[in-house]
Amino acid sequence: MQKATVVIVGGGATGVGILRDLSMRGVDALLLEQRDLGYGASSRYHGLLHSGGRYAVKDPEAGKECIEENMILRKIGKHCVEVTEGLFVRTPKDDEAFEAKWVEACGKVGISAIPISVKEALNLEPNLSPNIKSVYRVPDAAIDGFRMLWQNVASARKYGGRVLTYTELIGIEQVNGQVVGVKVRNILTAESYIIGCDFVVSAAGSWVGEVAALAGIKVNVFPDRGTLVAFNHRITSRIVNRLRPASDGDIFVPHGSITILGTTSAEASRPDDTVPTADEIVKLIDIGECLFGNLRSYRILRAFTGTRPLYSADPNATGRGASRNFVILDHAKEGLKGFATIVGGKFTTYRLMAEKITNLVCSQLGFKTECRTAIEPIVEDPSPEIKAKARLYFPAYGADLAVSRLGSEKLEKVIQRIKDNPEKRQLLCECENVTLAEVEEAADDTTSYMLSDVRRKTRMGMGTCQGAFCTYRSVGAVDANGLSWGKDTNGLFREFLQARWAGIRPALWGNVIREMELTRGIYEGTLNINGAINDEEN
Amino acid sequence: MMKKTDVIVIGSGFAGLISAITAAKNGKEVLLMSYGAGTLTIGGGIIDVLGYGDNGNPLAAPDAGLDLVDGAHPYKKVGSLAIAEAIAFFKQIAEEQGYPYVGTLNKMQWIPTATGTLKPTCLVPATMDPSSIAEAQDIMVVGFDYLKDFYPQLVAKNLDKILNLPNKISTAIVKLPFSEGRDVTNLDVARWLDNEEGRKEFIKQLKRAVKPGITIILPPVLGTMPDYTVLESLEKELKCSFVEAAGMPPSITGLRLQKMLISYAKKIGVTIIEKAAINRAIIENGKCIAVETKGLDRVRTYSAESYILATGGFYGGGLIAEPGRVVEPIFNLPVEAPDQQEKWSNEVLFSNQKQPFAQIGINVNSSMQPLNKEGEVVLKNVAVAGRNLSGYDYCFEKSGNGVALASAYCAAMSL
Amino acid sequence: MSKHLINPDLCTACTTCVVSCPVTEATRKFRGPKATGPALERMRLSQQDRDTSLEYCSNCKNCDISCPSGVPISTLNMLARAKQHKNTRRSIRDQILSHGEKMAKLSNVFPGAKLANIGMTFSKKLGLLDMVGIEGKAPLPPYASQTFLKQFKTIKQVSYPDKVVFFPGCFINYNDPQVGLDFVEVMQKNGYEVVVDEAFVCCGSPLVVGGFLDEAHDNAVKNCANIKKWIEKGYPVITCCTSCGLMLKQEYQELFHLPGTAENARNIYDVMEFLQNLHDNNSLNTNFGSTASIYLYHAPCHLRAQGFGLPALDILGLVPGLKVENVDAGCCGISGNYGFKADKYAISQKIGERLFKKIKESKVDTVISDCGTCRLQIAHGGNVRTAHPVTVLKAAYAKAGN
Repeated sequence: MQKATVVIVGGGATGVGILRDLSMRGVDALLLEQRDLGYGASSRYHGLLHSGGRYAVKDPEAGKECIEENMILRKIGKHCVEVTEGLFVRTPKDDEAFEAKWVEACGKVGISAIPISVKEALNLEPNLSPNIKSVYRVPDAAIDGFRMLWQNVASARKYGGRVLTYTELIGIEQVNGQVVGVKVRNILTAESYIIGCDFVVSAAGSWVGEVAALAGIKVNVFPDRGTLVAFNHRITSRIVNRLRPASDGDIFVPHGSITILGTTSAEASRPDDTVPTADEIVKLIDIGECLFGNLRSYRILRAFTGTRPLYSADPNATGRGASRNFVILDHAKEGLKGFATIVGGKFTTYRLMAEKITNLVCSQLGFKTECRTAIEPIVEDPSPEIKAKARLYFPAYGADLAVSRLGSEKLEKVIQRIKDNPEKRQLLCECENVTLAEVEEAADDTTSYMLSDVRRKTRMGMGTCQGAFCTYRSVGAVDANGLSWGKDTNGLFREFLQARWAGIRPALWGNVIREMELTRGIYEGTLNINGAINDEEN
Repeated sequence: MMKKTDVIVIGSGFAGLISAITAAKNGKEVLLMSYGAGTLTIGGGIIDVLGYGDNGNPLAAPDAGLDLVDGAHPYKKVGSLAIAEAIAFFKQIAEEQGYPYVGTLNKMQWIPTATGTLKPTCLVPATMDPSSIAEAQDIMVVGFDYLKDFYPQLVAKNLDKILNLPNKISTAIVKLPFSEGRDVTNLDVARWLDNEEGRKEFIKQLKRAVKPGITIILPPVLGTMPDYTVLESLEKELKCSFVEAAGMPPSITGLRLQKMLISYAKKIGVTIIEKAAINRAIIENGKCIAVETKGLDRVRTYSAESYILATGGFYGGGLIAEPGRVVEPIFNLPVEAPDQQEKWSNEVLFSNQKQPFAQIGINVNSSMQPLNKEGEVVLKNVAVAGRNLSGYDYCFEKSGNGVALASAYCAAMSL
Repeated sequence: MSKHLINPDLCTACTTCVVSCPVTEATRKFRGPKATGPALERMRLSQQDRDTSLEYCSNCKNCDISCPSGVPISTLNMLARAKQHKNTRRSIRDQILSHGEKMAKLSNVFPGAKLANIGMTFSKKLGLLDMVGIEGKAPLPPYASQTFLKQFKTIKQVSYPDKVVFFPGCFINYNDPQVGLDFVEVMQKNGYEVVVDEAFVCCGSPLVVGGFLDEAHDNAVKNCANIKKWIEKGYPVITCCTSCGLMLKQEYQELFHLPGTAENARNIYDVMEFLQNLHDNNSLNTNFGSTASIYLYHAPCHLRAQGFGLPALDILGLVPGLKVENVDAGCCGISGNYGFKADKYAISQKIGERLFKKIKESKVDTVISDCGTCRLQIAHGGNVRTAHPVTVLKAAYAKAGN
């Protein structure tokens, strides 16, 4: 029987944060994720590292946590945080009285909010609507959710932490009111087995209710749908927030090569009620036009939906009305020792949340080591030598990206692949500048089971063509490398393109439908992927 | 105002070129308004006519399904007689230009693709003629070391499953002298083989590995010119058959076809205006009297007796999709689309069903004249051809270029 | 074109531009228009780096012509190149080639064009040009002994109420004034008086390709103001250089977004389109003398990019007995000063190969083309005489004896 001292349920930001924290404190920890890391809300959000400005008025405590964590993450997570800074912009439609309240609140919480003239703002961000009324600079930043997750895992692994993806929790084993293990199932092989443990931490986001139910315990979590729209390029190089009480369509985040507009808020039917609708997209764009007047003429790449895990002791609270603070529930109160749930909060405060619950776990298990996650960088900074070396092997605008995505160790491996086969320096994904070598390295990772897993690690297929060109190349590369999960090549094509389609389908107009005509022309018209489906079924 | 011409064809993709050529062959003075190079060099130079029925089952031959298509399908409008004429017309041109196409309406050709599937089609250039595959004892799939758009093992593995040949399909890699410079596409390799040096090197590398009489499947790289110089010289030297597999853009077979058609159109007197973005038509009494281009400088007006609209579908800009509606931007022709966006498409991308959005377009009568909801002709002197027609999903049924050819021929013949 | 539309959004990554790019065909060092244009633009908006391959774009516009999506590919390249060169020290070569107007003015002060040309001949022989990175073998244009502007002053025009303003551009003014003189004669034959404005400066095309965008912007501001002044008077502005025309009408709008450029553009004409319009309105003087000449015609890429076809073919076709055939062999390779650069000369010649071959096979002795540098390249690579269409028309009018 596999064993671990602590089993963490949920491979989102909180879960990997806990895994890293526990591992750094010398606790043997294992993380379970039902799909791939970031399957839940940790990849389905706008990628904003809050300054706290958004919460300053309504929830000063949350605002304070944000600004403190923001400053910590910039230091320890240099390779996933882009210090873009942010603007709070009041449009003619927004209440002037709120502006004064907001300025005061930011001051109280300790968030720097520097007023600038509209002219200056338009100079910084020329695509902003010229009719905006007032603008403040705040220390917002952008954070790459996928990268943050993988780098936390990489760090945890160095300290002995383990991760099982595509592994679902199906039971919590208890003896005399004490957790003794978990029953899990590998969803790819359908194999189920038991892992012995002393403690289970549920960091399953919108799924915490389901997880607790396995132990017969009730946790009131309300999954709340938030839909976001990704645009093809950087409309803005700074985060732009609307200066009004938090509402829909308020935030634009430059995220790598794209811009993300979010979000909506509506009751979700289930934790994975994550199919965006056309109405949500149209609504977001209608609202977004107040900040960027030409928004309609910019190209949508796709839309995506996540569910916020809103917790309330009061089962009637909903939507943005519910608190965005996090809570820790020690289920010893309900009579089960060795089981705790952490729920609520936001990506920006994931490290703090992890620290708090790790403190609880450690005190109960008798570990005394201090938390060091606020001071120790998540990944080591690659040396100047290796950065210089990367420039020799990666194309223009490819080296820096690869360095920050890969970190020193993997970077060396990718460079070695290129040295061995110079043709692997070519770009598999020409939109996001990802080399064949990097995709092969990511595909080779033990946590990759399908092309979408490789996508999340590399960003391949996440740019302009949304897989039109790189799907063929990545299937070819996986097949040529003889990877165990790559045998059914037709299945690889379908999995990857179907996953892209899910976000494209609700925005099927303008250039999105044009790109789809191209993609179908290639895969269905020319390569006859469909015909292969028929062959299988006949 | 430009002096009046007989026919203005809007769009220089496959449908536009065929319309212009057909009209010019009928003695008309033709002005071809081009904006962008169309999709031939993306999609390819093979003429699919009909590969699958509505249920997704493969057809025995292209013509086996022509009469079975739904009443809304462009083939129903054109009629099987005119389709046959259009095919013959095209084959005649190709023959005249020294780049003959292989195939007939009553025989399905199953050609290999870059994924190792087979795809049903009707007409292919001789470089893609798949007949040698059926007879082959040995097949070898040949790729190129720097070519990232073709994976010989993938092709061999999947073809092995389908073909069940006595001998396993082998693979070989030809080394390209491309260690420096940009990423390699089919086009780079085709240009390399355009030159005698490249061909010599190719032959030198393969001579030992290849037994005479085998069939070699390779990416579409047998030269960029609409002739068979490269194919013939390789076949002669290596004494084996070559079959280009259908693959990723840029499409070299499409490039050859495009070159052939443009040169033919010019030869028979078609005038082409490039970068002519037509954005408006002037309509009087149910007839178009002129169309206007709008560049960055000024509006230019062009007038003709009749007009053929071959502006493509969503991709080509002939149809513009907005949330819940579709617009034909030049003549504002009626286009029906579901108002609820979710009804535009199937949840599953590749399935046994046609995609609804692919079938959105302009409804026409048997003369390719645009119709309104009531079935009345909207503009008397305008005909529509190609991807902007409603009622077909070319990807699903494999009718790409076939509908374009048939409707363009029909549109030009009915002027 | 609105500024916010100069972005990569319309691109679907389809590769059509790669197929049509003559530079991509000639060298593997260029990553191709899709990569350097829209694809890398997304990266440039999010990170800092340098792309040496960008220097290979010749701004010939074939990508823009072929793009099925209307992406301003070459403009994205030129803007990126300017950004890349900002605050960097530029080579003497780039300075010289982009500042043709300045160089011409310098050599015209003293000791005169003749000496400057002798100087150039010596420089070629001594390899001085090669030393700065200019190809000695390239068809560098000699200076004319007198500029067009000087010679224009000596012309006695018949005054007509209909007037047009001539934008000569650097090449005609300093290197090939005869085209300008022929233009004046052709306009006179059609009842127009030609006005020349000495306040016009270089259109900026060589500055843009050299990455000197700020200077090009300054030139654009000057020219736009002057053009506006004439257009308000009701005088159309005419060029005999397709690159100047493209710059004044289109590229000013794409690159600089100056107020008034769109209004100006409505009234700026290429000479052959202007004559074609006269013909369409039955007001072209078609009293041409008969000739038995056979010509080939080469359409400059910068003309094809303007979206009004090839009017020179129609107008030349009106001359009795004159036979003109479109050689239709793609880009000549010169692209302004691209083919003058030592590291681009071979590429430029390779691009022109197909054209040169067709010219040589045709055995004609004169090739007609609307663009001055195309004519240099064709004379050099095709070993033929060349002429601007107005020169042929002038001769045809002269033959008619009226």
